[in-house]
Amino acid sequence: MNINDCLNFDDFRQLAKKKLPSPIFHYIDGGSDDEETLRRNTESFNDCDLIPKVLANVGKPDLSTEIFGKKISMPIFLSPAAMQRLYHPDGDKASARAAEKFDTFYSMSTMANTSIEEISNISSGPKLFQLYIHKDQSITDDLVDRCKRANFDGLCLTVDTIVAGNRERDHRTGFTTPPKFNFKSLMSFAAKPKWVFDYLTNKKFELSNVKNKTDKGTNIAKSVIEYINEQYDPGMEWKDAEYVIKRWSKPFAIKGIMSVEDAKRAVDIGCTAIMVSNHGGRQLNGSRSPFDQIKLISDTVGHKIDVILDGGIRRGTHVLKALAAGAKACSFGKAFLFSLSAGGQKGVEKLLQNMHNEIERNMILMGCKNLKDLDYSRLIFRR
Amino acid sequence: MNLNDCHNFADFRKLAKRRLPSPIFHYIDGAADDEITYSRNTSAFNDVDLVPNVLRGVESVDLSTTIFGKKLDLPFYCSPTALQRLFHYDGERAVGKAAQKFNTMFGVSALATVSVEEISSLIDTPKMFQFYFHKDRGLNDSCLERAKAAKFDVMALTVDTITGGNRERDLRTGFTSPPKLTLASLFSFATKPMWGINYLTKGKFELPHIQDHLDEGTNTNTSIGNYFSTMLDQSMNWNDAEKLCSQWGGHFALKGVMSVEDAKRAVDIGCTGIMVSNHGGRQLDGSRSPFDQIAEIVDAVGDKLDVICEGGFQRGTHMLKALSLGAKACAGGRLYLYALAAAGQAGVERALNQYKNELERDMKLMGCTKISDLSRKNLRFR
Repeated sequence: MNINDCLNFDDFRQLAKKKLPSPIFHYIDGGSDDEETLRRNTESFNDCDLIPKVLANVGKPDLSTEIFGKKISMPIFLSPAAMQRLYHPDGDKASARAAEKFDTFYSMSTMANTSIEEISNISSGPKLFQLYIHKDQSITDDLVDRCKRANFDGLCLTVDTIVAGNRERDHRTGFTTPPKFNFKSLMSFAAKPKWVFDYLTNKKFELSNVKNKTDKGTNIAKSVIEYINEQYDPGMEWKDAEYVIKRWSKPFAIKGIMSVEDAKRAVDIGCTAIMVSNHGGRQLNGSRSPFDQIKLISDTVGHKIDVILDGGIRRGTHVLKALAAGAKACSFGKAFLFSLSAGGQKGVEKLLQNMHNEIERNMILMGCKNLKDLDYSRLIFRR
Repeated sequence: MNLNDCHNFADFRKLAKRRLPSPIFHYIDGAADDEITYSRNTSAFNDVDLVPNVLRGVESVDLSTTIFGKKLDLPFYCSPTALQRLFHYDGERAVGKAAQKFNTMFGVSALATVSVEEISSLIDTPKMFQFYFHKDRGLNDSCLERAKAAKFDVMALTVDTITGGNRERDLRTGFTSPPKLTLASLFSFATKPMWGINYLTKGKFELPHIQDHLDEGTNTNTSIGNYFSTMLDQSMNWNDAEKLCSQWGGHFALKGVMSVEDAKRAVDIGCTGIMVSNHGGRQLDGSRSPFDQIAEIVDAVGDKLDVICEGGFQRGTHMLKALSLGAKACAGGRLYLYALAAAGQAGVERALNQYKNELERDMKLMGCTKISDLSRKNLRFR
């Protein structure tokens, strides 16, 4: 099995599983507690059906939309994801280059293994930076200022990781970052010698954006969980978000909003977008799925700001359903991380091509010329 | 597998299964008939989603709640369960001490294997005595007086065991108390020699609250179902409950109330709390789950007495959902029994600590800093 055989999410996942040491695979694949929310994020799309309009003479549909002030060629983009160097030696560079090729957003995590400046040098495509508020404010300020200088287009503030989720697969596999070679994990690493070779012969693992400000997560073998609990400010409040918006003064989103009340508040403080997300089911298990909640939120604030659905997307039809329910665009993490693990830049390109083809084909089957043709009348809910 | 590998309810269950002779494991693990109510008690939580609020500044979380006039550090407690020394030789001593460490309530069953006097000398945190209404009135009076003398804070009258539930696993395994060594059960006991050694060497198995009044359950081997059916008074009615309530004279609860009508009646006879419970699915299979029923009952009587949701809890988020609907506290038996069987006091402490950590984490992720911040606004039913 290789990249060209990957037709869908499950194929990429299978190939990634073959290539990655198991603690790393399960770090991507897992959710929190009993993983009900992780599953629901995708299952919720099956509670409604698409209603096509036939004989609509659609020709080649226009898939473009605009978010964070940038026109993108299709309504999906790569969610920010930490530590991509663990999945492929090229890490963020591979993701950024692939996204640029498809003219859509690449997003960089605060916890990336490549720096803001490095990515800015290699990609002129649309770029989003994902920010965590640190207890040490100088770290937060530094990140915002550097993104500005590096011409990132948008900034998103993650608000659903105030404390680390209970990811039991990581407890069991002993996942840490950087990978710790203890007896428990040794077997799983030894089983993937190619990964170990690549990991050891490429650039040193580091959290490039914060390495000068903290030694956590760089030299010491710390789990991400510990990093989150030590460095992120659990006292974070709305005024902190407002502060960042002022300092940034460009398109800005809050990532991790689930309630209507919070969505309204995001509008009030000057956000230009929100990402409706439960962090891919990795934080609060039992939380509502983005698709279950998207209509309520877009009905309330969709005419004022861009509402982006993040989580559960596996198929082009999922994107269509999300857009019909009111999302402006969708983003995904797991899907592209598996493709990155499976084949680096080529893998991500293959995934984006698959998604592009699916969205285009399904738009034609739905009888839609452009994304505006997708509205709530095109969905029927089963209950 | 050992205690350090236990990260959740399912892990404790697995470890308990390894440590216990199978009739005893299945006595805990089983329920009535086809066990549909038992599984619904937990799956009910998945019909509703949590909707968090963000950017609330949640550095510290206060999980305390007040029930029966007592402030507990946690919004959940250990329900009374029978025969704990069968599960671990320390039995109620282990659970009581663990509950004390977390400053939460500990319920002692009338069918406990350690006496109220001993528990009272061991722990000074809030205690509940669970009462069965026996045909033998002398036995009833004695239980009441002893619990009172031992300064128990709450009396809970169980009202859903008027006859024994149809626990088919017990019929198949031949579970009795004390354990009877039949040919059928011999093999399962022989495969867990550590349990056998502890059982035989760590003090005689007794039912201190009832043994002076009967020989059932001590000298003869009896099943719990048989005990309920033969020893308890099936004619028990609201008058009897009312009399007990005034005879006790302190905080009094009915355990096993499911209908709104009965909840209102509990208020009328002077109860200060009710446990909405179907006895962990062990009595009437097909009965509604506590979580499915809790909102209706809270709406009817929540301002007049403490409504406690009992049964099905395996996660902090489950508790969060019940508290959001208005339950004053959550309670459970299996919640800590597998942990007790797995590792005694250390096991129960680890389990309680996990639920506490989960609740704390989940409260933060919900944007809540105290239990009263939780409301139905946090929930959406599918």
